[in-house]
Amino acid sequence: MDYAFDFALVVETFPILMRGFVVTLELWLPSLAIGLAAGLVLALARLSRSRLMRGGSLVYIELFRDTPVLIQLIWFYYAFPILIGVQLSPFTAALLALALNTSAYGAEIFRGGIQSIARGQWEGAKALGMRHADVLRRIVLPQVFKLMLPAFTNRAVEVAKMSSLASVLSVHELMYQGRLLSSTYYRPFEILTTVAVVYFVLIYPATFLSMTLERRMAGKG
Amino acid sequence: MSYQWDFSPVLTRWPLLLDGLLNTVKIAAIAIVFGVLVGLVLALLRLSPRRSLRLPAAVFVEFYRNTPPIVHFFWFFYALPVVLNISLDPLVAAVLALSTQSGAFYAEVFRGGIRSIERGQWEGAKALGMTHTQLMRRIVVPQAATRMVAPFVERSFELIKTTALASTLAYGELLYQAMMVNSETFRPLEVYTAVALLYLVLLVSCSALARVAEARLTAYR
Repeated sequence: MDYAFDFALVVETFPILMRGFVVTLELWLPSLAIGLAAGLVLALARLSRSRLMRGGSLVYIELFRDTPVLIQLIWFYYAFPILIGVQLSPFTAALLALALNTSAYGAEIFRGGIQSIARGQWEGAKALGMRHADVLRRIVLPQVFKLMLPAFTNRAVEVAKMSSLASVLSVHELMYQGRLLSSTYYRPFEILTTVAVVYFVLIYPATFLSMTLERRMAGKG
Repeated sequence: MSYQWDFSPVLTRWPLLLDGLLNTVKIAAIAIVFGVLVGLVLALLRLSPRRSLRLPAAVFVEFYRNTPPIVHFFWFFYALPVVLNISLDPLVAAVLALSTQSGAFYAEVFRGGIRSIERGQWEGAKALGMTHTQLMRRIVVPQAATRMVAPFVERSFELIKTTALASTLAYGELLYQAMMVNSETFRPLEVYTAVALLYLVLLVSCSALARVAEARLTAYR
């Protein structure tokens, strides 16, 4: 092991990696936000009284949870445009796949949270004359939101990691820049190690936050 | 939306896809075995009373848990061989990446299970004159093992899904074979839909098996 680590190269290529880092953020945060919002809608469909809504949302959720994310990305880039007749840019396809994937996992988080509220509260609120949507907004969600926070942060971690797969569709995010640079300079060890460290710096705070939230809640419970 | 679905070019190439499916199962099985070994070692290190053993294991686990798997795949395939001056076969690189990565997650499963056994039981067993090995074998591990089943199954599920990343190293697992079929047939919609369904069938049958196993392993409760 007398390999000489070329630190100067890391410094030189770092601005390019940072450009990729920005695209990673542009992919990560919107897909997380859209995905979680859509997850709430899906969770309501899962808990709806209509059998059709329940069945449909169940199939959707299981499709996304029981197939690899990579094939979802590839499907939305190569297969889906044939169905709709419009070519999607790699970024749009990746954003779509990540957001839909997140909505399936988000739905399960919301469902668990909503179901944890005792029936009596629903009945009480209904007895006071609140509509279904009011009960949800005023009574149920405020109580469970805090409980769901660790699970949301955990999702944020997973989505950040998944966003690296967009490199396969040549979205110019962090991993893509890393792959490109490592083959240009033929210095994969320096570049890929740096890429890993950058991801760690991005993701670890979220993991830490999720652990802290969980510990605080366990202390209260 | 007048697209004519035609699965026949894909169906006639089923031996290619079957090959891929078998390789996916193979790589997942090998990686689970090695991942468990890595996880056991890491868990023992993290539970050790010595700080000099605990700390490096914690750093290893946290690093792997907070970086995307695709980075690990590329790092093992492109970066490690440069440093060690060797060349790695895609299968070996993929197994290394998968088993170290899932080892980090398995370690947390094992550690969590063992730590969940209350202090009183450790003290009780010690008071009865059991040695550390005896109390682990007779008291702690049998109880901890049943608590580990569910998170263990979940991690293994994630591992099976992550095997799709081996396609980026041109290892002939299911997704890679699908890409080959696609380049022969130019039918991405049919190919990727069929392969997504194959993954779905594989994972749903694994989860049915896991449920049976879980019911049996925790039957005494």
